[in-house]
Amino acid sequence: MVTEETPQWPDRPPARLRLPAVSTRRARRSLIGAALVTYAWFAGTTTPFTRSALLIVLVPGAVVGMIAYGRPPQRIPPPESLDLTGSTYWLIAIAALFEWEASAFRDFTSTWHPPLSDLINPVLGVHPVKAVAVLAWLLAGWGLVRR
Amino acid sequence: MTTRVITIIGFAVVIIALAGLEILGRRKNSPIPALGELLGYAMRPRAGRFLILLGWLWLGWHFFSR
Repeated sequence: MVTEETPQWPDRPPARLRLPAVSTRRARRSLIGAALVTYAWFAGTTTPFTRSALLIVLVPGAVVGMIAYGRPPQRIPPPESLDLTGSTYWLIAIAALFEWEASAFRDFTSTWHPPLSDLINPVLGVHPVKAVAVLAWLLAGWGLVRR
Repeated sequence: MTTRVITIIGFAVVIIALAGLEILGRRKNSPIPALGELLGYAMRPRAGRFLILLGWLWLGWHFFSR
């Protein structure tokens, strides 16, 4: 039964007013998503060591930089502290990756001890794979801006 | 087994370990942080934020531009 004492959630806007905001947000997200997929697909067509290959990285880099420092979005609050042991596992694994990669450069024998890029580059030569990788890289950039 | 195969196995082991840490880190009450939490913590100071974003840009350049 509704009485005068029944709370009415005054700070909650009526449903009729909320619907357009939700649909606008959804439309904007869909538009941005479509633009990113199109960009990644185009970026997948570029040939390494060309100007266009450089631009497909520099343009998102400039955009992410401008967003990060000019108009930062609402950020996900970072943790106040991290478990030292848990973080150390990460540091060990990342250090192992760098060490394994660095030893490949030290040996400089691509056939015996190939660096990670030598193993990945042939895979990235396939257009859809490169497009997916670029899209993942773009999304990672957006994820970092929100951190 | 050639050294090339050993190298590839080495990379696979490290990458699987990193993926495993991420899976463990996403569990509730895990002492291991997820990668996002780790990066978020590293990005608290302005210099850390700049360096992590620079690393992201370098990754893109390294794999897609060259």
